[in-house]
Amino acid sequence: MTPTELEKGTSLWHDAALRLRKNHAAMTGVVVLAIVFLSCLVLPSIPGLLQDPNAQALDLKNRPPSGEHWFGTDHLGRDIFSRVLYGGRISIAVGIITTAVSVTIGVCWGALAGYAGGRADDAMMRVVDILYALPFLVIVILLGKALDPITADLTNGAVDLFAGEGATVAEQNDTRTWVEPITTLVPLFIAIGALSWLTVSRIVRAQVQNVGKQEFIEAARSLGLGHARILFRHILPNALGPIIVYTTLTIPGIMLFEATLSFLGLGVKPPNSSWGILIEEGANRMASNPWLLFFPSLFFASTLFALNFLGDGLRDALDPKSSKD
Amino acid sequence: MLRRLLASGLLALSAASCQKQTEVERANEAGILLVGNSAEPKALDPQLVTGVIESKIIGALFEGLVADDPEDDSALPPGTAASWDHNEDMTEWVFQLRPEARWSDGHTVTAHDFVFAYHRMLSPDLAAPYAEMLYFIDKAEAYNKAEIDDFTQVGVRATDDFTLELRLREPVPFLPSLTRHYTWFPVPEHVVRRFGDMTERFTDWSEHPNLVGNGPFQLKEWRFHDVIEVERNPHYWNAADVGLNGIRFIPIENPYTEARAFLAGQLHTTYTLPPDLIDTMAEDYPEFLRQEPYVGTTFFRLNTTRPGFDDPKVRQAMSLSIDREALCEHILEGYTPARTFTPKMGTYEPEPVLDFDPEKARKLLADAGFPGGKGFPRYSMLISRPAARASAEAVQAMWREHLGILVDIQNMDWGSYISAQQSLEFDLASAGWIGDYLDPTTFLNMWTEGNGNNNTGWHNDRYEELLKQAALQADTEARHRLLAEAEAVLMEEQPILPVSWYSRNYLHRPEVKGWHPLLLDNHPWSAIRLEP
Repeated sequence: MTPTELEKGTSLWHDAALRLRKNHAAMTGVVVLAIVFLSCLVLPSIPGLLQDPNAQALDLKNRPPSGEHWFGTDHLGRDIFSRVLYGGRISIAVGIITTAVSVTIGVCWGALAGYAGGRADDAMMRVVDILYALPFLVIVILLGKALDPITADLTNGAVDLFAGEGATVAEQNDTRTWVEPITTLVPLFIAIGALSWLTVSRIVRAQVQNVGKQEFIEAARSLGLGHARILFRHILPNALGPIIVYTTLTIPGIMLFEATLSFLGLGVKPPNSSWGILIEEGANRMASNPWLLFFPSLFFASTLFALNFLGDGLRDALDPKSSKD
Repeated sequence: MLRRLLASGLLALSAASCQKQTEVERANEAGILLVGNSAEPKALDPQLVTGVIESKIIGALFEGLVADDPEDDSALPPGTAASWDHNEDMTEWVFQLRPEARWSDGHTVTAHDFVFAYHRMLSPDLAAPYAEMLYFIDKAEAYNKAEIDDFTQVGVRATDDFTLELRLREPVPFLPSLTRHYTWFPVPEHVVRRFGDMTERFTDWSEHPNLVGNGPFQLKEWRFHDVIEVERNPHYWNAADVGLNGIRFIPIENPYTEARAFLAGQLHTTYTLPPDLIDTMAEDYPEFLRQEPYVGTTFFRLNTTRPGFDDPKVRQAMSLSIDREALCEHILEGYTPARTFTPKMGTYEPEPVLDFDPEKARKLLADAGFPGGKGFPRYSMLISRPAARASAEAVQAMWREHLGILVDIQNMDWGSYISAQQSLEFDLASAGWIGDYLDPTTFLNMWTEGNGNNNTGWHNDRYEELLKQAALQADTEARHRLLAEAEAVLMEEQPILPVSWYSRNYLHRPEVKGWHPLLLDNHPWSAIRLEP
């Protein structure tokens, strides 16, 4: 008998990564996301590369895609390529920021409730129930109005900061154009994130309760580990699968919500764009100028699909019960 | 997952293709006209609304003294009044009502209903936004402004059940044409009083199923933001000549959606057509496309009580930096650049003054204390429908480029949009005005102090003096000269920035007969027939 080599242990994460890598749909999703995110976040930041997304040239309106305007121009002669990328920046930013805020709060709240159990759990979950009952859109509209003075100050501060002292009105206006969508939307969407953690907290609570009953947690407890260590080192990593899946599914939801808000006049204000606005404008003119709908939808739909496939793949990969191969 | 999506998509497609008849075909068989009507009306009380949207529905439910003619705006077919007469200088008019005219609940329409309607409309407590349409009646203005409180002094009187006498404050040769407007319609006293005081606003009397009218149709159904359906009124005096069994008014705010609904066979006629679709429609659906003259102006209404806008120099600068030619060529296709506020109307032609001159605009703005736009407050422009966004964004860019002024654009639903302006809680608004009758005063009278459609906070003594002088002038040429002078004052002060003159662009199905091009676009619903 030849002595057997010691089998090298593989961690749960390593297995998951392996499984994910074998999932072609998920990997395609990763690549697509990387391309879309990088082009939206990096390209507009390179000065002189893209045309001004808000510059109108009425005599160049409604041009189909060409070498000059890769994605064509809209009804005001604006370059759709740069509008899609600038708009994507806003859509992606609000998607990620809001999701990050909501998942952070939701995970902490749900984990505490699930781990604490008993009366504390009851109380925390009733808070969630009450918040669920509030009409979300109405609250967001009120919130938007309430944040107005804050965002106005923030915008003015940011414009002074970036345009510098003694800038002309025109320079200030140019700076304002790109600063304003960020300074008005980010506070609003942080607030939205702070209100939309309810579902994730329920998921996490159920997961934590489930994991908390298993033997290895008993073992950890008998070793005398502290609550924080048990919760964050032993329970949460085992509950991570559903959280990650939920996260990837929340981002497109928030992007859609931004489109709704923009339509109501609370999100991106004209002339600035987001994917939601571009798709709405494109849908209106799809019979005569289909490219106005096609390109923004292509970006939005690919992002959405990619996030969904990635989420699906992550769920399969992170499921500890799936076979070890 | 993907497979399930595909399967349900296919299912939906096949379901759609199984549907043999379109809505329009079904409606043709039922004799029902499907009308795109833009937005949910603010109300159906003829004395409390101001919009074109409401006028379409009210025109089916009520009838004035004089009716509309299907082919000619200036023809005056008798309506509830069978005949009328006036004195030498057109200041005293007598209308003989037809005894067979009935309300839709069977009650007789009497001259007292008209007196009641005008009393109600002019009561200061009702605060009717369109009350000034009745100011042509002697002492009506004084009563409406609570300067007198005895209505019997006002020049309207029922001498018997079927005789209505009007005493006017000035000669009004176009009075019969004026009475076709819904502000002159009667309201049923017995119904209004059943649901509240005479001067109570928005009571249930004009809601379904209480509303009683005297028009060719009566209210059948009102589903909020879905449809308002009217059906034949069996009590209408001329019911035998009504061609349709009913009309459905469908509020579709987005004109692009409306155009798609029309092409999918869901409407007989659309409220409008976005200018940028005209070319496509002309090419693909010439049989549906209608482009007709229309007396109306698009403009920006400024709240002149806001700092900055209170200075005529600023208002002129903003007006001078709007490139109306470019707007009409590229965005408002089919519209004409406005050179003054009132569009051409008969022999009235005011001086064309509006121009595009960014150089002068910058100078004026600097004179007003905002050189290069420095320190100008950030204002927000109201728009009421998505189709207005294109021109709003274009003008937004023009002001930014030529004046360094930034404005925001804010979309609002129709009701809030109107309310915000009436309460002067707005900065500036993209607006439109359609003539109510064929006389320039329908465009000029609204900019007087306290007028419910002024909503700019602006008024000017000289302007009002000129309008008063014109009103007393019987000679048309001299009258028009005075009105043109008043218009020059308006354009000097510019509480409003005219942009373009309308043309009526819409889609219309050929089986709708009895629908002819009309300058005021008031097609009498009773004359329409469906002949597929």
